[in-house]
Amino acid sequence: MNAILNLSEDHRDCLQEVTNVAMGQAGDRLARLLDTFVVLSIPHIQVMAPADVAMALQSVDSDQTVSGVCQGFIGGGIAGEAMLLFNDTSFEDLAKLMNYDSKLDSQAEIELLMDTTNILFGACLKGIAEQIDMEFSFGPPMVLGQHQPVSKMFKLDEVKWDHALVTEISYTLENYNVQCDLLLIMTEKSIDLLLKKIDYLLG
Amino acid sequence: MEQTDNFLDDFHWLMDVLQNIDVGLVVLDENYTIQLWNSFMQNHSASRPEAILGCNLFDTFPELPEDWFTRKAQSVFMLKNAAFTTWEQRPYLFKFENYRPVTGIAEFMYQNSTIIPLKNTRGEVKHICIIVYDVTEVAVNRLQIKKANEKLRHISRTDGLTGLLNRKTWEYDATKEFKCFERNPFKCSLIMFDIDHFKKINDGYGHPAGDEVIRQTAKTVLEQIREIDIAGRYGGEEFCIIMRNTDSDGASIVAERIRKAIEALDVCYEQHKIKFTISLGIADLTKNEKNLTQFIDNADKALYKAKQSGRNNTVIFQAS
Repeated sequence: MNAILNLSEDHRDCLQEVTNVAMGQAGDRLARLLDTFVVLSIPHIQVMAPADVAMALQSVDSDQTVSGVCQGFIGGGIAGEAMLLFNDTSFEDLAKLMNYDSKLDSQAEIELLMDTTNILFGACLKGIAEQIDMEFSFGPPMVLGQHQPVSKMFKLDEVKWDHALVTEISYTLENYNVQCDLLLIMTEKSIDLLLKKIDYLLG
Repeated sequence: MEQTDNFLDDFHWLMDVLQNIDVGLVVLDENYTIQLWNSFMQNHSASRPEAILGCNLFDTFPELPEDWFTRKAQSVFMLKNAAFTTWEQRPYLFKFENYRPVTGIAEFMYQNSTIIPLKNTRGEVKHICIIVYDVTEVAVNRLQIKKANEKLRHISRTDGLTGLLNRKTWEYDATKEFKCFERNPFKCSLIMFDIDHFKKINDGYGHPAGDEVIRQTAKTVLEQIREIDIAGRYGGEEFCIIMRNTDSDGASIVAERIRKAIEALDVCYEQHKIKFTISLGIADLTKNEKNLTQFIDNADKALYKAKQSGRNNTVIFQAS
């Protein structure tokens, strides 16, 4: 039986705690860099099939259009991808936040999306990596789509995996109309190793 | 002593790797002073390390936008996280020649780059490293595919002889216009016209002459209409134009202009000078039309009347 389908409550709690601590550190770093208070939700951890991820994404935003970016990471046998979904009302605020003063054309928007993703995601994953004593390499962020319904952005019926460990976190930045959701998706192959690391923390 | 020798040996080949690896490596301190400039960077920038090391990055490379770069670099120093730039955002950080100056078609080297934090012995980040990757091949391929797709899209939308929209695309665009009207009515009219006695031109001068007549007709249409109007080749010698924000009175002015221009036109084919005329029908889009076909039908009826009343004229459809 796959380890991923037998994720115990203890493991889940511990993972949630690790992520929570990482997010706290990330929030602190981000607040210092961006000079604003970052409100983070409690991470929600679940083992999901592609269809579940699609459902989770739809509940994030059913009729609004969003912009999405993904970034891959790998290290020491753990691999995955982060997806960041921005609601579409907030580009001007995002530009203000990132001190971006050039004209906001679609090219500039892409850059803004990629930079913000890199910062938010890097800050969070770094925290997780430190706690489980690992280091990850990051691929460059890729824009999945701009101003589209979520359903158009991912072709989740064509993916080649069965289950993955999904952590969902939402970010809100105080005084800015910037709201985004981060999905941290780890592959099935990573789970065994991740659980070993968690066992070490639990033991 | 032996240990020191070993260390120096190891250090030496390690440096060799850094020097000779075929990606650019640049190390900067907090003031953006250049501390390392490997062979890749030396060779492509044609500048010796002596001339570069210890210099400020932005003074040495004024084309690198300082605000943009420092914003990226600041996040690396502060968050101790890598930052990325891709050729799609910005084609290059350093303007270098294409690696294939002879057979390559790119004007410059497209670059992806990663800016990574470098920790010192105390775990602080006082230096950053820019890694510059040459991605010209990938970028050029991607750009060529994009260009080919645009060309294919154009070919699939237009009529090969005239360059006007083909019937399928015209109908698609006209249907969109019709749907917009249904939701929120605005002034809109349709001109349908065809070439008078076109069969005689074909029979008298041959089909290539007929083709030339059609080509010149399309050219005349394009000269007389605005960019917002939707002109298409509907059939053999039949043309259609959706006039946006224009009622039939406005459309008839345009129609008459086209008619007179065509009447005055001499199409030269081989030794022949071909004169010809067109007949036009115009219809307003009103709430009475239930679909695009009815709209087209009305303009067609007006065109039929124009033919019946002696050709080379314009008739506006009147609902009976």
